[in-house]
Amino acid sequence: MFRFDPYSPLVDADPFPFYKTLRDEHPCFWSEEAGMWVLSRYTDIVAAGNDWETYSSARGNLMTELPGRAGATLGTTDPPRHDRLRGLIQQAFMKRNMESMAEPIRNIARQCAADLQGKKQFEFIGDFSSKFTVRVLFAVLGLPLGDEQTVRDKAVMMVQSDAKTRAKGPEHIAAYNWMQEYAAKVIAERRANPTNDLISQFSMAEIDGDKLDEREVLLTTTTLIMAGIESLGGFMSMFALNMADFADARRQCVANPALLPDAIEESLRFNTSAQRFRRSLQKDVELHGQTMKAGDFVCMAYGSGNRDERQFANPDVYDISRKPRGHLGFGGGVHACLGTAIARLSVKVSFDELHKVIPEYRRVHDKLDWMPSSTFRSPLRLDLTNG
Amino acid sequence: MPHITYIEASGQTTTVALPEGWSLMQGATANGIDGILGECGGSCACATCHCYVEESRLGELPPPSENELAMLENVAAERRPGSRLACQIKATATLEGLIVTLPDVQE
Repeated sequence: MFRFDPYSPLVDADPFPFYKTLRDEHPCFWSEEAGMWVLSRYTDIVAAGNDWETYSSARGNLMTELPGRAGATLGTTDPPRHDRLRGLIQQAFMKRNMESMAEPIRNIARQCAADLQGKKQFEFIGDFSSKFTVRVLFAVLGLPLGDEQTVRDKAVMMVQSDAKTRAKGPEHIAAYNWMQEYAAKVIAERRANPTNDLISQFSMAEIDGDKLDEREVLLTTTTLIMAGIESLGGFMSMFALNMADFADARRQCVANPALLPDAIEESLRFNTSAQRFRRSLQKDVELHGQTMKAGDFVCMAYGSGNRDERQFANPDVYDISRKPRGHLGFGGGVHACLGTAIARLSVKVSFDELHKVIPEYRRVHDKLDWMPSSTFRSPLRLDLTNG
Repeated sequence: MPHITYIEASGQTTTVALPEGWSLMQGATANGIDGILGECGGSCACATCHCYVEESRLGELPPPSENELAMLENVAAERRPGSRLACQIKATATLEGLIVTLPDVQE
């Protein structure tokens, strides 16, 4: 009998064969291990994402939710409150407001790439992407320097889950609590000495005379830090993996960096790090001969929708000329990723600079160790050769 | 499923049967219609799904939100009376036969 266990190390390592069976044979599948339904076809995922009144985010959006988080962040709030909350921070993340960050981000990328000069081999995550992402986030949010490495380590730890208990373990909860305390300190500092940064604005903002409550300020800030570091870093390691594995595509991007945005879009489709998110049903839904009950949780397997042959021709081929419009690499609808503009900019600029120092690279190990996570997918380390 | 017709700047015309609840932006990006980018994924944050709705039918649509109006100030092509963001228009039965024209640039 077919099973789909998002806590299995096999799924961490390679979910795509499971997804194909799900799409073809069980498009509305009850996963006993996850205790939720799994939607795997592109159109079903898009339709569920559009119908937020039925597929609610208010009981959490991470596959394995963190305690006390649901209902207090953008991703775990439904409209209309979601839209008001998002309106407060969206401006700061819009593309045109990100343009002023292009040069500072390039400088960070240049410094991180320069550190790799002359190395015969490097570990992409430890030696490049984690240094880069944490410094970008600190620059964007105006966070005080000094704690970068700890902040990065905690952000990566809090999104993981324990494969045996199928839940957050004490080390994940401890990282989450540490991040909340860190966010609380930053918020308090900004309220005392407000500047023109996002956290100052956000922590003091009112929407329609309705102030954000403390839990919302705290957990939204915590989530922004987590997303800014872990999600960006996770995607960068997947992009590096694709550029290492598909040497022709990389050489095209090295010869013509204007192709990097196309390669980034194809990677967001092909194997983005944000593989699965969760909703809960507000009413019974009939789909593909199954009845999902009000209150049931539903997994939207974005990574599967992105490989759905009903939507993308030759979906298992990595093709940077594809221009995969409408991919689900950033989710979609009202909850589409807030950070799309800065993520695209950061990945493009960082690889442009990396490729100037190291244009040729291959992975050292055929087999990788994957992060244990029911929501995200990225390698724990990625050793690459220079040349 | 209402039928929506997209006319691209090149003149290329495509009619799509759009499931109710899908946005006009999703109808375009899921069906290979090039004139819509939809960079932000439909969260009304990028203004790259700008379209011109036939003015005679504008009144049939829910009016743009404050956020959409603010984003419409950022469109790359000329803003006209029929300008809307396609991600903010959801397909409903009443939109049967709607024609939207797409601008020549989105960014």
